[in-house]
Amino acid sequence: MKGKKVTAMLLTAAMAMAASGGLSVNADGGDIKEFTAFFAVPGSEINDDNEVQQIIAEKTGAKVKETWLTGQTAEEAVGTMIAGGEYPDFIDGSDGMQQLYEAGALVALDDYIDQYPNIKAYLSDAQWDKLRRDDGHIYWINQFSAIYEKDMSTTHNDEAFWIQTRVLEWAGYPEIRTMDQYFDLIESYIEANPTMEDGTQNIGYTILCEDWRYFCLENAPQFLDGYPNDGSVIVKDGTTIVDYNTTPTAKEYFGKLNEEFKKGIVDPESFTQTYDEYIAKLSTGRVLGMIDQWWDFAYSVNDSLKLQGLEAQGCNYVPLPITISEDVKNQWHTTGLSGDNINEGSGLAITVSCEDVEGALQFIDDLLSEEILTLRNWGVEGVDYLTGDDGLFYRTDDMRINAADTAYKASHLCAYSYFPNYKGLSKDGINAATPSEQPQEFLDSLPDNVAACLEAYGCSTYVDMLGNNDIPGIWYPMYSYSGSMTTATPGGLAWTKMGELKHEWLPKIVMADDYDSAWEEYMDAYAQCKPEDFLSEMQEELDRRLALAE
Amino acid sequence: MTEGSPWQNKDHETDSQSAMKAETVCFRNYRKIRVRYFAAVPDDKREVIMTGKTKKVSVPGQTKKITWKEIRRQKILLIWAAAFVIYGFIFCYLPLGGWVMAFQNYKPKDGLLGSQFVGLAKFQQLFSDATFLRVIRNTLAMGVLNLASTFIMAIVFAILLNEIRTTWWKKSIQTISYLPHFLSWIIVTGILHDVLSTSGIINELLVKAGILDNAINFFAHPKYFWWIVAFANVWKETGWNAIIYLSAITSIDPSLYEAAAIDGAGRWAKIRNITLPGIRPTIMILLLMNVGNVLNAGFEVQYLLGNGLVQSVSQTIDIYVLKWGISQGDYSMGTAAGIFKSVVSIILIVMANQIAKRTGEESLF
Repeated sequence: MKGKKVTAMLLTAAMAMAASGGLSVNADGGDIKEFTAFFAVPGSEINDDNEVQQIIAEKTGAKVKETWLTGQTAEEAVGTMIAGGEYPDFIDGSDGMQQLYEAGALVALDDYIDQYPNIKAYLSDAQWDKLRRDDGHIYWINQFSAIYEKDMSTTHNDEAFWIQTRVLEWAGYPEIRTMDQYFDLIESYIEANPTMEDGTQNIGYTILCEDWRYFCLENAPQFLDGYPNDGSVIVKDGTTIVDYNTTPTAKEYFGKLNEEFKKGIVDPESFTQTYDEYIAKLSTGRVLGMIDQWWDFAYSVNDSLKLQGLEAQGCNYVPLPITISEDVKNQWHTTGLSGDNINEGSGLAITVSCEDVEGALQFIDDLLSEEILTLRNWGVEGVDYLTGDDGLFYRTDDMRINAADTAYKASHLCAYSYFPNYKGLSKDGINAATPSEQPQEFLDSLPDNVAACLEAYGCSTYVDMLGNNDIPGIWYPMYSYSGSMTTATPGGLAWTKMGELKHEWLPKIVMADDYDSAWEEYMDAYAQCKPEDFLSEMQEELDRRLALAE
Repeated sequence: MTEGSPWQNKDHETDSQSAMKAETVCFRNYRKIRVRYFAAVPDDKREVIMTGKTKKVSVPGQTKKITWKEIRRQKILLIWAAAFVIYGFIFCYLPLGGWVMAFQNYKPKDGLLGSQFVGLAKFQQLFSDATFLRVIRNTLAMGVLNLASTFIMAIVFAILLNEIRTTWWKKSIQTISYLPHFLSWIIVTGILHDVLSTSGIINELLVKAGILDNAINFFAHPKYFWWIVAFANVWKETGWNAIIYLSAITSIDPSLYEAAAIDGAGRWAKIRNITLPGIRPTIMILLLMNVGNVLNAGFEVQYLLGNGLVQSVSQTIDIYVLKWGISQGDYSMGTAAGIFKSVVSIILIVMANQIAKRTGEESLF
């Protein structure tokens, strides 16, 4: 009797220990280091007891609690941290990166990098050099500028005019090359089909322009003129900075939106909707078309279209190669950054609050090993993917549904997505780095309506819809510079003011009764922001980059 | 009564009443206590207590020297008072040291001590910025609008509620009406966004009733914005603000109402001649306190409801501080704007207080 009691007590004690502190001891019996990270981009937090995270922790001896941007802009979040003077161990400040550097919040990494082979090999020497700040040190590692072996992209991850496959199918998959054709198609579709199958009113075209996401309205003129996404300017002939806000194309583009707004094709709530409302709207399948970046809408919207069975109605989106006229070649899609090109404006950094810089770097190094990369990108073998006889990874339908399920993602998968990662091939040389780039896997997981649409256009991937382009030049992308400008320089001040002004005026001119006079007024107000200060600083940076490359 | 008196907790009654009561009912050994007590108080005070009158006596004890004995006697009080002084110092005065930033070109890297002093340059920059001037206008306009609407609505609501005869009905209305106070602004703005959207209930009602031909997108027109904010504040805070007036109304002597009823006063006359004058001191004090808050016109509402189209009327000083101080990293400018706001608030509250004093109303100080 007494023996039983003692046993019971021991068991209870053991269980209590396991519940409280037991998890922080890994297989070797050593303690698992816990780091914190903040990424100034939207993202979803994973559970504290996430399974893959635990496996990685056991293998590497470290885990990272990641937090993401919520309800703020990157600069606000970063500015608040600087004012408080306390930082997480890892940080990606996104647009606030330059501020972190100027506040002295980051640890210089160049003395350490050589000791970590995986990190060293992650970027080319030219890329590392581009990351150096004006004091000659490297403070952050851009996570998305490395393609292993070859580009395998299947999805157009970037900006485009998107349209639902049902519209294209209804019209017999016509060739759509210009904005006029695009809106004509939407108009005639909506005239023939004012509602969806369940009676919900269709919305022709919606524009997201909440806060920093107003690129959906703002920067299309650069693409329409056939330039790639330099983000803030056009680089003409590879040598000259041109402002895309004032081009005839810009006037024509916003004029077209104005015309469609009056016709009721453009959603009247466009300029006042929040991001959440926008995503909710797209998720109902009502919206026929819009401009957006794939990463900004596709993950949440596609999953919810799938769950509601709206794929069968053709509510998924495909990109269209639209330019201002048919003789302009589009550059909506360019190969991912690699080789000598890099987005040097932001990346993963270690802050001065981190007490174990070497441990933190060791963790990044470990994350770049083949085994951990596979865990991050594919998951656990036998659970999240299977290996065929030829060594190729594949997934079953159930696995795919799991991978799209928010709850499953939070409790099981752990991509450490804002730590350095590869695109292209996996280090085993057979598989793609991620499931979405695996050719067969991509085809198998494609919704039927998209597959039919791609086939009709003779394409095998989303990218084929637009055509691929090489990176336009050594300077690319210019947004890495404009993103790091601060109001300390006249150019940065002008850039901020231009942004503020466009937030107000672009919606105004689209809604204006008399477009031409509204455009004139807008141009007057625009000139007062002194855009020439901004442009000349961009030109200096372009010249610097070109000189550096020689 | 004087401090330290054994009857001081009976301060609702007059001194003579309490003395009588104590003598006859409460204390068995009252006599003993009184003798011991009277031995301890100075003669002049003794007189007050003995005669049971609260006539004003110039008490030399007020200018009495602070002795150790006195300090020991008030030890507990002093400790409590010290706690609040320390609290106030740490949380209200210490942060004011940061105001130095406004006169520097503050760089987080160099810190408060290492940054370069620039005098009033940041203030100059601030007032030459057309946006800042517009922001002041917005803040004042929305502040006054909010103050007026929430203030009047709370009083009206309290009086209306007070006129309800059925207790359970009154109680439940009161509970329901102050519930919105506990909702955070993010939820309130979410509701507003839904209600006022082109497919929202307001538009639907207006269109169905034939008042509008087409739905209006309320958030796309600058002219509606201030009113939407005021409406949101009224909806959220009326019930809560009414509580204090309701309690003030309860403390009005019921015999006044009875007397008025005998004189033939109806409801309206009672409200005008008894209720309103009865809560007038409360109204004045709250008004004064709120005047100091006019520039705190809000941050969350405007931040969450605003969009590009209405930014010229939606941005308040607080949003400006966030945008330029925090987002753009110009902490000096943010601090300068903050100082401006504090100074204006102080001026406003002092002015209002003076006016109240002059007109013989209740005042704060």
